[in-house]
Amino acid sequence: MIRTAAIVLGLAITTCALADSTLQVNRPSGELSTEDGLIAWQRIFAVLSHPRCSNCHTDEHNIPMWSGPSYGRTRPHGMNIHAGPSRMGVETLMCSTCHITSRTPNTLPHAAPHAGHPWMLAPAAFAWHGKDSASVCTQLRDPQRNGGRDGQALVEHIIHDAEAHAFITWGFAPGGGREPAPGSMQAHLDDMLLWTSVGMPCPEGAQP
Amino acid sequence: MVSFKLNGAAVQVEVPERMPLLWVLRDELGLTGTKYGCGIAQCGACTVFYNGQAVRSCQIPASMLDGAEITTIEGLGTPEQPHPAQAAWIEHQVAQCGYCQSGQIMAAAGFLAMYPNPSDEQIDQVMSGNLCRCGTYPRIREAVKSAAVKLREPS
Repeated sequence: MIRTAAIVLGLAITTCALADSTLQVNRPSGELSTEDGLIAWQRIFAVLSHPRCSNCHTDEHNIPMWSGPSYGRTRPHGMNIHAGPSRMGVETLMCSTCHITSRTPNTLPHAAPHAGHPWMLAPAAFAWHGKDSASVCTQLRDPQRNGGRDGQALVEHIIHDAEAHAFITWGFAPGGGREPAPGSMQAHLDDMLLWTSVGMPCPEGAQP
Repeated sequence: MVSFKLNGAAVQVEVPERMPLLWVLRDELGLTGTKYGCGIAQCGACTVFYNGQAVRSCQIPASMLDGAEITTIEGLGTPEQPHPAQAAWIEHQVAQCGYCQSGQIMAAAGFLAMYPNPSDEQIDQVMSGNLCRCGTYPRIREAVKSAAVKLREPS
């Protein structure tokens, strides 16, 4: 609660350490331009489009993907997995049959990874597997397709994820020989703070 | 010390908190019906019920057991009164080597509890999570259908 209040009131605060996390909310200061925001967006997109993130940001067919260096060619998740309209396998095989909820480090190669949040696909409206930078950017700043979030709420989403040791946090430390998303949770938060502070600019080709 | 219910009976075990449930069952409690296949949640041989949901016991640490209800193949039915899935497995002589079959039966029983009249597609989607190196899949599908009919019969 204190943390949330600090974020809400954070315009006057440049740095805020989170109580139970190593993350720092480093509010950007000084003159920042749209160009700075677009450079931050490039790094954000590198994270979002990385297999650790995009494999579970799939479309309304509700099928998670296996892709990236750890998995070889891009293909649907093995074992005929279908997460169903629930996006968590309620209709067929629950994701939690194999992907337990746990904060312990992922150490075993090939084992079903776990995180501190019940495993599930992101909502279909958040599908961005295989999409280009402009499309994902437009999507991320559209409250109709990002869970009704404004820029501040997007930042809070990352902070809440860190508190829960959830999927974004896991993406930077997936363990088990999986390639992590580029950068770090802190760098990603810094980039999101910067990008949202300058109005969430998107590359050319993005829809308004 | 963790306390939980195992096949309806209260048990307590003193084990490292990261010990997988699979080893608690097999090594600490002597219930060897649950099999070790891969140890990484890929094969399904170690499937048990955790609070009613089919899960891979190789992935459940002892620290998650306190207060839980665990059901293994030994607790699903009895030789005198087998669970309909167990009865169907015998009827269709599903097993070849048999190693994966307790996991297969647990997965099927958990699935049928939710879907008493499954389609072939649903059966394939769920049972694809359990591997059988002998390739008994056609008989597994028939046994699941047969068990579904038994479960729908008025008792």
